[in-house]
Amino acid sequence: MELAHFQVLSAALFCIGLYGVLARRSAVLVLMSIELMLNAVNINLVGYAAFVEASEAHRALGQVLVVFVITVAAAELALAMAIILRLYRNRSSVNVDEIDLMRW
Amino acid sequence: MNDFTLLLPEFMVAGLAFLVLAADFSLPAKRKGLLPYLAAGGLAAILAFSLVDLRGQEGSLYDGMLVVDDYALFFKAFFLALGIVVVLSSVEYVKRHLEYPGEYYGILLFTVVAAMLLAASRELLTAYISLELLSFGLYVLVAYDRYNPKSNEGGAKYILLGALSSAFLLYGISQIYGLLGTTRFDGIHEALAATPDMSPGVTVGLVMIIAGLGFKVAAAPFHMWAPDAYEGAPIPITAYLAVGSKAAAFALALRLFGEAFMPAAADWQVVIVIMAALTMVIGNLGALVQRNIKRLLAYSSVGHVGYLLLGIAALAAVESGGGVSTDLSHLASNGVMLHLVAYGITNMAAFLAVAVMYGVTGSEEIGSLAGAGRRSPFVGVVMAASLFSLAGLPIFAGFASKFYLFSAAASQGLLWLAGLAIFTSLISLYYYLMVVRQMYMEPAADPARVRIPRVTTAVLGALFAGMVLAGVYPAPLLDAMQSASEAITSSSGVLTLAQR
Repeated sequence: MELAHFQVLSAALFCIGLYGVLARRSAVLVLMSIELMLNAVNINLVGYAAFVEASEAHRALGQVLVVFVITVAAAELALAMAIILRLYRNRSSVNVDEIDLMRW
Repeated sequence: MNDFTLLLPEFMVAGLAFLVLAADFSLPAKRKGLLPYLAAGGLAAILAFSLVDLRGQEGSLYDGMLVVDDYALFFKAFFLALGIVVVLSSVEYVKRHLEYPGEYYGILLFTVVAAMLLAASRELLTAYISLELLSFGLYVLVAYDRYNPKSNEGGAKYILLGALSSAFLLYGISQIYGLLGTTRFDGIHEALAATPDMSPGVTVGLVMIIAGLGFKVAAAPFHMWAPDAYEGAPIPITAYLAVGSKAAAFALALRLFGEAFMPAAADWQVVIVIMAALTMVIGNLGALVQRNIKRLLAYSSVGHVGYLLLGIAALAAVESGGGVSTDLSHLASNGVMLHLVAYGITNMAAFLAVAVMYGVTGSEEIGSLAGAGRRSPFVGVVMAASLFSLAGLPIFAGFASKFYLFSAAASQGLLWLAGLAIFTSLISLYYYLMVVRQMYMEPAADPARVRIPRVTTAVLGALFAGMVLAGVYPAPLLDAMQSASEAITSSSGVLTLAQR
């Protein structure tokens, strides 16, 4: 196990998430893909915190960052679900292709 | 140790937000009209307090994560004043079109706290948390009109793309943390200045952070969410989105690029220059074909982000040997701040005028403004003046700020970009004049005079006065900006990096 493994895994996961955001049609799945990207960030941070040669404080910073990312991501998810639910109530659809009242 | 009295304004605004929420619980329904006045009065008192208490104060808290300096004070005052204007512009609109005023004003106040903290943060995680607090508030406010499908749609697009941009920003932050070993701006500055060759990983991090921030300020090619979110949001929130969220993100960007990333200017400047050019062109060309006034102003605000990015690019002059000169960066940062203030005052006036006419006609089409100049001469004059100011015509604030910003860019050697900025300003004059033509040349469908509530008249009058004053006599503003600029550039000093 080296740092490079973590970096490659993180980069791959980030790209998969980005692909999901662009390719998925359901707003909920788009949201899940974004979560995937945020988890890629977490893996990156954990990898750096574990493998970089540095002081204890510096390593702890990486882990603290992860905790913050998880917390903020959870809050963001809750908020996004609430708004998507509103959209569903008003339009009976969460397909992002059909959300097109406003164009150009 | 930490001197928490330095953070009193932030604590007080957060307290005020809770107070408004609590008052909303306890007030009877017919008294809820008092809430905005509680919020605005509180903000005004806090603004006065911070101007007196924090003037000339220097200090840092939490091991340098938050700083209190003239730069932070300048933006604190700006956001508090903006908060007052947004709250007062919302009074009429919220009463007529929205439910739950308590939460509306409460969330608005939380976004003001977030923007104030963003201007004071000097560490990437702190900046990120503040940015998210600001964005979360704005997501809710954009989608606030919950039975209006357009508002839902704008909110959904905003939050999905906002979350995506956070992922980019965070990936950039993780790269910077992993490869430079710190997230503090001064630490990043030292680490970048110490390494002669930048590793590709850091470049990836830089580009990701630029992309993430680009999303937040709606810079092309990351601007697609902006017109939809702006059109869907309640009008006062559209104005707040156009002014507040951009000013906050640029308050962060100035510190970030002016201090932390300055040694790597040779690497990021070209990215920002391309983004600025694209944003100016796309924003102003996009506005040409709009029928909806909110959408037109949205595209125009995208264009203005291009001008502000021009100022960010002009923070550094990259010399042929790869060195970076910061002799003139204070000109560029003054220019960005002046343009933020001028654009802020002007845009608030324009949107408030639009809100007044929307209250009468119930339509957001540009055609519905026909005859507005005769139906309400006052609103007509303010709207016309703010459109001229946005286009950058003399005696209004927009002229002074564009002049300052473009000449700062030209003196840093970005002549062609300054030229493009002037050219796109000319294009913008066309679509602004089309709106003025509607207001003054077209006959009104219903020629009845428009009655304007007293609060609205007062706010419009104050904004109009500010617009003219900042255009004719910007000297006192520039003094404040100069000391603000010195606060962000002095820690790095004049930097000539022989080793890069």
